[in-house]
Amino acid sequence: MLAISVKNLVKIYSGGVIALNGINLAVEEGSSHAILGPNGAGKTTLIRILTTQIKPTRGEAKVFGFDVVNQGNKVRELIGYVPQEMSLWSDLTGYENMLIYSKIYGIDSSKRGSIIEELLDFMDLREAANRLVKTYSGGMIRRLEIAIAMMPRPRLLILDEPTIGLDPRARRIVWERLQAYKKERGATIFFATHYMDEADKYADMVSLIDRGKIVAEGAPSNLKKLIESDRIILKITGNAEDAKKLLLEYSSSIIISNNGEITLAVKDPATILPIIIEKLYSRGFVVLEAKIVEATLDDVFIKLTGRSIGEEEKGTISEVMSVRRAIIRGG
Amino acid sequence: MLKAIESILAMAEMELRRLKHDPIEIITRAVQPILWVTVFGVVMAHRIMVNVEDYISFIAPGVVLQSATFIALAYGIMLVFERESGILKKLLSSPIPRTSIVIGRALAGGIRASTQYIIVLASAALVGARFTNNLLLLITGYLVVTYVCMGFTAISILVASLMKTRERFMGIVGAISMPLFFASNALYPLDIMPESIKLFALVNPITYTVDLLRALLLNSSINAFNDVAIITLFNIIAFLLAIKIINKIIE
Repeated sequence: MLAISVKNLVKIYSGGVIALNGINLAVEEGSSHAILGPNGAGKTTLIRILTTQIKPTRGEAKVFGFDVVNQGNKVRELIGYVPQEMSLWSDLTGYENMLIYSKIYGIDSSKRGSIIEELLDFMDLREAANRLVKTYSGGMIRRLEIAIAMMPRPRLLILDEPTIGLDPRARRIVWERLQAYKKERGATIFFATHYMDEADKYADMVSLIDRGKIVAEGAPSNLKKLIESDRIILKITGNAEDAKKLLLEYSSSIIISNNGEITLAVKDPATILPIIIEKLYSRGFVVLEAKIVEATLDDVFIKLTGRSIGEEEKGTISEVMSVRRAIIRGG
Repeated sequence: MLKAIESILAMAEMELRRLKHDPIEIITRAVQPILWVTVFGVVMAHRIMVNVEDYISFIAPGVVLQSATFIALAYGIMLVFERESGILKKLLSSPIPRTSIVIGRALAGGIRASTQYIIVLASAALVGARFTNNLLLLITGYLVVTYVCMGFTAISILVASLMKTRERFMGIVGAISMPLFFASNALYPLDIMPESIKLFALVNPITYTVDLLRALLLNSSINAFNDVAIITLFNIIAFLLAIKIINKIIE
């Protein structure tokens, strides 16, 4: 069964901005599926349509077979959603936020207490439960939001930039918890991100999105095979130019840098490297140092669109703010 | 239906818990109405400008309403803020009907606003106002204030969804709330008003609420049924408009 199925989805905002330009997507139940692309590519718009907040201009989107426009009620009962922006009342405690949301979600009063307790433990928030949310760190806020999204035990979690602005440790904890939930419940996780390492590491399938279109789709390892951009970097004795001639049969692209290092673009560096070392050795070259640099999804993205997903190293707050402004404007 | 009511009550509970954590706004908002009854009311009581015997008791319900409707009208700022944060998005993608979101938030606004009823009446009583000592009537008065403020909160949701920034929104709130206060029977009886203002006062829901509160608190004989009907009509219109507009808030 498909958790999400999207066909020819188009969204044009009232200002004429084309946010989605014919999206097709199929998310298998029980999988973790990332939608990866730069800011403004249309990720949030897609998520807002899937969570029934806004209507598409054209095309069709279904969640577990239910149409997001005509059967929004059914869809809302099946999903847990964490928006990119904070969705907590910061002047209430963590526990109170969970309590209010559990009532809003209509969770049985007999089960409420135990579900909240269980999730507080699961998300490692017990000690902070009675503190006001405004005293929480970014990672705690995200964990609480995810805990709240998990309260109705959704079969599908939809997360918009789940770790934006978090430090690596907090990101790892968030993902450990998400993967544990997926495993325990057989749940589907659909998330938008512009962190390529996150998509690479935690998604079974990745859809690359750019300017409202899916430009490529597949398992991260398959996507990376689309390009020959794993690289081997060698430091050798002897004449680098001569060595290059020897290596031409293994790689179409060989570069010698100023410091004498030889960089080869190859498809399968782990098996080719020993062969190359052997070959060089038999001709009197000695390999002093060998390094394998694996391709990233960003390399794939650059190859397909000519642009980088990028911005990862830039400041987080200004980034969130600019995204937020774009969303308010409907961009 | 039961679940819809439960989610509405959850939002009311949210507001009560919030008030418990941070009651400062309620207290700072009460300063102005306290001055209205304790200074303006006391001074005016010694002038025979209007044809009223006990002026402080006369204006107290109107001052309650002025202060409460201001809070209700300003409540939309929370929604503007929530639009920028993810709360509204989360509510819109949760299983509760959008009608419940509007009614729940309106009830929350009504609860926050009606705190003024207690503070203003108590301070008016301290400077000599005489209200009924029937507890049931006093509670009914409180409920009336909450009820009408739900309508004003709905209006606030409506305005908030049309305004893009908080600053503009607060400007609009100021521009609505004071005229509503002055062009009503809050400070003076309808029959001493010039015809043009009287006309406005007659379509002003505050007029009917003040009327009803006076009937409850001062034992004046007024057509309560008429007042309730008109307040209800106002609330229904406000709710219908707010429910219609809520979808627009995020798009």
